[in-house]
Amino acid sequence: MTTTTRPLRVKSARKQTNSAWAMAWRRFSRHKVALMGGFVVLLFAAMSIAAPWISPYDFREINGPMKFSSPSVEKAAFFPAGQCHSEKVFLWECGVYPLGTDQLGRDILTRVLYGGRVSLLVGIVGALISTILGSVLGALAAYVGGKFDMVISRLIDIMLSMPQIPLLLILSALLNNREVPLGQMLDDWLGSANKSIFIIILVFIMFYWMATARLVRGEVLSLKEREFTDAARVLGGGHFRVILRHLLPNAAAVIIVQFSLMMGEAILVESGLSFLGLGIQQPAVSWGNMLSGAQGFLFRTNGIFIAVFPGLFIFLAVLCFNLLGDGLRDALDPRSIRR
Amino acid sequence: MINFLIRRFLQLIPTLFVISVILYSLLALKPGDPIDDMRRGNPGFTQADYERLRELYGLDDPWYIRYLKWLGRAVQGDFGPSRQYGMPATQYVFQYRLPYTVVLSGLSLFFAFIIAVPLGIFSALRQHSFWDYLITFINFIGVSIPIFWLAILLIYVFSIQIRNFLPAGFVDRGIPWPDWNTLAQETSDTLEILSIYFSKAMTYLAYYSRQLILPVVALASLQLAQWTRFMRSSMLEVVSMDYIRTAKAKGLTHKTVIFRHALRNAILPIITLIALSIPVLFSGAVLTETVFNWPGMGTAILGSLLNNDFNVAMVALMFISMLVLLFNLLADIVYALIDPRIRYD
Repeated sequence: MTTTTRPLRVKSARKQTNSAWAMAWRRFSRHKVALMGGFVVLLFAAMSIAAPWISPYDFREINGPMKFSSPSVEKAAFFPAGQCHSEKVFLWECGVYPLGTDQLGRDILTRVLYGGRVSLLVGIVGALISTILGSVLGALAAYVGGKFDMVISRLIDIMLSMPQIPLLLILSALLNNREVPLGQMLDDWLGSANKSIFIIILVFIMFYWMATARLVRGEVLSLKEREFTDAARVLGGGHFRVILRHLLPNAAAVIIVQFSLMMGEAILVESGLSFLGLGIQQPAVSWGNMLSGAQGFLFRTNGIFIAVFPGLFIFLAVLCFNLLGDGLRDALDPRSIRR
Repeated sequence: MINFLIRRFLQLIPTLFVISVILYSLLALKPGDPIDDMRRGNPGFTQADYERLRELYGLDDPWYIRYLKWLGRAVQGDFGPSRQYGMPATQYVFQYRLPYTVVLSGLSLFFAFIIAVPLGIFSALRQHSFWDYLITFINFIGVSIPIFWLAILLIYVFSIQIRNFLPAGFVDRGIPWPDWNTLAQETSDTLEILSIYFSKAMTYLAYYSRQLILPVVALASLQLAQWTRFMRSSMLEVVSMDYIRTAKAKGLTHKTVIFRHALRNAILPIITLIALSIPVLFSGAVLTETVFNWPGMGTAILGSLLNNDFNVAMVALMFISMLVLLFNLLADIVYALIDPRIRYD
């Protein structure tokens, strides 16, 4: 009897690395919906950044006779010769508004593109800073322990038991008021358009770091009891090195997922506050602030377009961030079984 | 347990105190007191008048002095008058605003709960099926949709295109729920009474539902999505437990295992989640209430902030803070009651 030994097939290491991140990426790339979410978000961001090259109009450009036009309705007759953006630019032809115009005859698509800059900026920066703040505070609280941990935990509890939405309203009303010294200071420093963006990001960070801090604290509490933390300490790693190089990277799954979900949350908060008139102020444009007067035009012919499109972009962006976050959670966190 | 309860109740007081200081100082920072508004509305108003009135009303004191005075009256139940409505702020908030919010948030809580729980269970039991994916995806939509946008779309579709529901506001024409005894005095025919009773009741329901359905749907959508998702994952977690396998191994029917063993354990966390989201509904309905011009707490807070109605803002905000604290406590108590592993002593 002869035994044939089959040669062991070894996949080349170059083709398929098995680092944790590569495995996570492979799991993530199987998650088609999440990939699509990421793609759409990137597309929105690219379109917003490229807005001046895509659209022939300025987002403040008022065109009285063309107010309340429906999407893609040709009304070239309104334009005296030479006053029209004559050459066809992507979707725009002379007198054609791909998503219609608003109550002042401003092109909705152009405003959506420019508004995306502010909304996505608030989403990304607000989520980034609140996640970093939450992670650092949570990790420090868990690592240092003792009194410090107690103070941070109490702070989280108090912040969570405050009525968040009314406080968001008060703070943004307060800071947006020029008569308040701090509001005046911000105004001089940033200018009125940028000020409202800054305020939204600020109040978002103030009220949305706690969830991240709690999650990271719990994560680090369990991580710091593991052997590798002791090993890192014994090998001479300083406290900051241990936190930054050993603990936080191991909590990265939680943090990244939280970041992605927070982006959606920040966009929703921005749009809600702007809708109430306490967020991004005119003449700056954001998705939320485009909606703020929209309800009043529902009864007008074509008035619905003023409300539909900006809201649709908010909805899609938040949906994509949530899908992305869900996919990331499945990919990064081996404990969460795909459910 | 009793000790724990007493301790937690006593802890509420300093927390509420801290919150009241924060709220008061923030509101006091807001420019524009009542005298400013008087001056704006009256050209003959001199600087001397201004200073005299400010002193008269104690508005020239720094905010902490005013806070202490306010606190002294507030603990006796006097929260001051409403500047806009000419009545005590507490009366305005609790009599004219709170009932509307209770109706709106109560109904949406109720519907969200009775839909979310079965939907979540169904989705969990048919994991990875088409329906499961569909429900999960709809949940994603519900969580991501901006409520005020959904509300605007609902108004557009159901009260402008299909003119079925009122687009905004609440009009109470005082249509009463029919009273059987008064009807019985007019005629003795039971069948006739029954038919009149039924038609009057239907009028009542139709009248009020025309105004309530859209805001309730808008407000319930977010809760519905969140709770369905939560119920689903809670159920999935419970079903994978060892005691479920034991129950199945004992030969119990599928139905018994799911409803007697799994559901009882899976539904408990969602009850605490609901306790936590009730106070959010009371204040967080600002957007829905604004779109529907609903005379509830959310619009009361927003309106009092925008119109410098200081006392109303304080009453409403303190009430909501108290609700948040109370329901947090309630959630803890429920946890302690249902989970014997938790010991608070």
